[in-house]
Amino acid sequence: MTQTDTRVGSAAAGPAPGPARPFWTSRRRDQLTGFVFIAPQLLGSAVFVILPLILVLWYSLHEWNVLAGTFDFVGTDNYTALADDPNLGAVLRATGLFSVGLVVLNLGLALLLAVLLNQRLRGTIVFRTLFFSPVVVSLVAWTIVWGFLLQDNGGINGLLDTIGVDGPNWLRGESTAMVSVIVVQVFKNVGLNMVLFLAALQGVPAELYEAAEVDGASRMRQFWRITVPLISPTILLTSIITVVGSLQVFAQIAVLTQGGPGTSTTVLVYYLYQQAFQFHHFGYGATLSILLFVIVLALTVLQWQMRKRWVFHES
Amino acid sequence: MSRDLSRRTKLVLYGVLLVLAIPFVFPTWWMVTSSLKPVADIFAFPPQLLPTNPRFDAYQRVFELQPFGQQYLNSLYIALVVTVGTMAVSALAGYAFARIRFRGQNVLFLVVLAGLLIPSEVTIVPLFQMFFKLGLVNTHWPLILVPIFGAPSVLATFIMRQFFISLPGELEEAARVDGLGRFATFWRIALPLSRPALGAVAIFTFLHSWNLYLEPIVFLSSPEKFTLPQALTQFVDAYGGPMWDVQMAAASMTALPVLVVFVIAQKQFVEGLAHTGLKG
Amino acid sequence: MRAGKALRGVAVALAGALALTACGGGGEAEDSGPAKLRMTVWSANEAHLKLFNEIADEYRTSHPDVAEIKFDPLPFDTYTTTLTTQIAGGNAPDLAWVFENSAPDFVASGALLPLDDALKKAEGYQYEDISPATLKLWQNDGKLYAYPFSTSPFGVFVNTDMVKKAGQKTPAELIAAGQWTWDNALATAAATATKSGKAGMVIRDFDYKGWDNLSTFWAGWGAQAWSQDGKACGFNSPEMVDAMTTLHRATFTQKALPGPGTTADFFAGDSAMTITQISRASLLKDGGFGWDLVPLPAGPKGNYAVVGQAGVGVMKKSPHAKQAADFLAFLTNPTNSAKLAQFFPPPRQSQLTAETLAKTNPQLKPEQLQKVVIDGITSGVVKPSHSGQAELSQQVRAGLDPLWQPTADVKAVLDGVCAKIQPLLAK
Repeated sequence: MTQTDTRVGSAAAGPAPGPARPFWTSRRRDQLTGFVFIAPQLLGSAVFVILPLILVLWYSLHEWNVLAGTFDFVGTDNYTALADDPNLGAVLRATGLFSVGLVVLNLGLALLLAVLLNQRLRGTIVFRTLFFSPVVVSLVAWTIVWGFLLQDNGGINGLLDTIGVDGPNWLRGESTAMVSVIVVQVFKNVGLNMVLFLAALQGVPAELYEAAEVDGASRMRQFWRITVPLISPTILLTSIITVVGSLQVFAQIAVLTQGGPGTSTTVLVYYLYQQAFQFHHFGYGATLSILLFVIVLALTVLQWQMRKRWVFHES
Repeated sequence: MSRDLSRRTKLVLYGVLLVLAIPFVFPTWWMVTSSLKPVADIFAFPPQLLPTNPRFDAYQRVFELQPFGQQYLNSLYIALVVTVGTMAVSALAGYAFARIRFRGQNVLFLVVLAGLLIPSEVTIVPLFQMFFKLGLVNTHWPLILVPIFGAPSVLATFIMRQFFISLPGELEEAARVDGLGRFATFWRIALPLSRPALGAVAIFTFLHSWNLYLEPIVFLSSPEKFTLPQALTQFVDAYGGPMWDVQMAAASMTALPVLVVFVIAQKQFVEGLAHTGLKG
Repeated sequence: MRAGKALRGVAVALAGALALTACGGGGEAEDSGPAKLRMTVWSANEAHLKLFNEIADEYRTSHPDVAEIKFDPLPFDTYTTTLTTQIAGGNAPDLAWVFENSAPDFVASGALLPLDDALKKAEGYQYEDISPATLKLWQNDGKLYAYPFSTSPFGVFVNTDMVKKAGQKTPAELIAAGQWTWDNALATAAATATKSGKAGMVIRDFDYKGWDNLSTFWAGWGAQAWSQDGKACGFNSPEMVDAMTTLHRATFTQKALPGPGTTADFFAGDSAMTITQISRASLLKDGGFGWDLVPLPAGPKGNYAVVGQAGVGVMKKSPHAKQAADFLAFLTNPTNSAKLAQFFPPPRQSQLTAETLAKTNPQLKPEQLQKVVIDGITSGVVKPSHSGQAELSQQVRAGLDPLWQPTADVKAVLDGVCAKIQPLLAK
């Protein structure tokens, strides 16, 4: 991107008439075309994203008892309650654990699969298809099936049993529950990142490896010194997309653990749902929404900063 | 490119790939085979890999218990409309953000990008209120309008922008010399070139709409208007116990067609995706 | 396996809560034409609905001011959430079934119409026939807000084939010998489980989450979740610690109960015994095994019984509240109450006889009805309920989770539960 002009767009819509030159300079024309082109998206964002977000902010300043039908302005009471919430620490911890675990496992496995599939091997397309297939299976169906497989007497432990391993009670132990939720999500979507990595790997010039081979560098060394740096933009981008996605995980938690055991898998989105929709603390739910938005926003600003440094092939 | 491998290495690699494939394939396998088993066999331990007495009762009951054919059509037509609409909106916006220089571009791009960052749980309540006031609750409009114009289309716009950025500028120069306007350049030059990216957008969007869960359960209340993921959770007995075989039959019918299409078109699918510009 | 349930719960809660956020609109206007009544129920059972519709049709022939009575089945496991949100969203039914665990919330909320006048004045109603014990939960300040159309005791269903095959004495034999105690029941369950490779005793719908169903167990120790006035936590009382210690040992040492995360459906032949309400007897018809129904075993505090209740109330906001209350009086008069008794044990003392019940409960023998149903209703304690049940229930569930580990420190966990819920109880 070469644009440096960051003034608010609306100001540009009303052009000041120049006296001598023809009115429709190519610049003005571009200005108008640009706006026309982005108009559907921009209006959509305003109506379906920005406006609802402002409304949520408004709700967060109210005590909204949906059962009694009251909606009272309480100022920042909900935010004070947020600071004092005894559950918040555990919730943020679960949220962080889930995100970090998901990103590490997802990217690690995606990279491993991509490297394996990038070998000169017959039939990699078959495996690529298999690894990618869960991406196209409905999330609800996928999670329900896994929920069954992960039971103490379910399919996973049945499989483990045949090789003589006594599997744990996956969804009932505090640590295994979190691991299970992460792993189910990883298998569902790792195919996407795998494909992106595969494309990046195929873009690494073969000469670089040949040169390294001549220098006697080991495979491992080649991987760390050549492959990783060259596909780092992809690693960064996928990690950011995965982090943002990980903060929005909901159906999986609802199906597999309902936030338990204890509060070990109560991530922020799920806690928000409990407060708003189960306990009918709607104003507080809105406050948690704002917290979630702030966290995502902070991570995105970080992304934007790092993009500038990392992504070099944008002109 | 990678180098040739020894026979032994190849065998090891195949072994590793096979083991790794289990968790990707087993759940789908279990889903399909369970739909053919009587309930008691679904819960058998150790699990039966193949149904001992396959039967298709459950598939029949899916259609008896829910207007499943109608629900199938609902999901299909909504996903198609959303896909076409999103392609149009995101191609236009992506092109403008990438190739046209106008004031406020960066700020507006950031504003649009915000949609990528907001979980739908956060804005679902105000969205519901808006559609309620318009009298559009329990219609398919929210499921069509919000994805095309709202947050879900932002990823598509992002993909298109990344693609258009990578197009060489000379093409447009040539078009300009030929006297083509902006829209003609977009329509006749840029858009045909963007087919791989558009393909990826189409796939993403279709899957997103096809799998949408939160929005249908919020906006729809009559069974004949339901979409598939929502219908999947409705197969229960009078005491709320799940009817496993029926549920799995319905889930299989939801997943298998998409899987078949994917396997047939997987080359275009995966390669289209690889060229999204998401690679950084 | 509650995956599907959980998801449906989410679905309903969201849809409902959203419906009610759409304030304005909605609310039915007062209209003067013939009333159309809607009653929410949680049973989609065809036989149930057929009977309701027959009674409704009969009512309408004599009441031209009521044009339609519609029974609207909502999903069982998310019933209350759906109902409360419908009410708040301006789409309230005219009549509604209410579970016992949400009774305090409903009775105190002011959402329901007091029924005393409508019922007492109805012709031939015999209000005094209703057992006062069954009304307690549904009254507030001396007014009755819902009629307990179903007072369903918990009993133990036994797969007698499985127990005999394991060489154990059947519960009926133990009862005859005066040995039907929890100690023996658990020993039988454990031995049968070991022999058969299936599960022993299943407390149905508990699944290590629906903890209120455990009251069928701890009541035998005289324990309770909270005090009568609902202000003091009972989870760390000595009785509760005893009961839970026994339960913990039975689960993890004795293996009399299937452990957490194990699916075992008694009615599919997966377990030797199950504790559940007698209304589930309908699930037995194609069970394909010999079965028996016996009362709950005696605990250290002797014999006891636990009942689940369901009430039906009239929504105060309904534009046809008067007609609705009048229909309710008809639906629950002695004649119709006797008809409903085939599905729902009635609160009317004159109908609580083994003979009456046997006529309409062909699957149950008179002595089963006498021992489990009639004795249960007269002496049973109702499952725990409290205002703000949803949040309280979630806190207890989270607090009890650490207990479902083989190495749990029972007393410490239960102290933890009390620490969590005491602030909510004190509200």
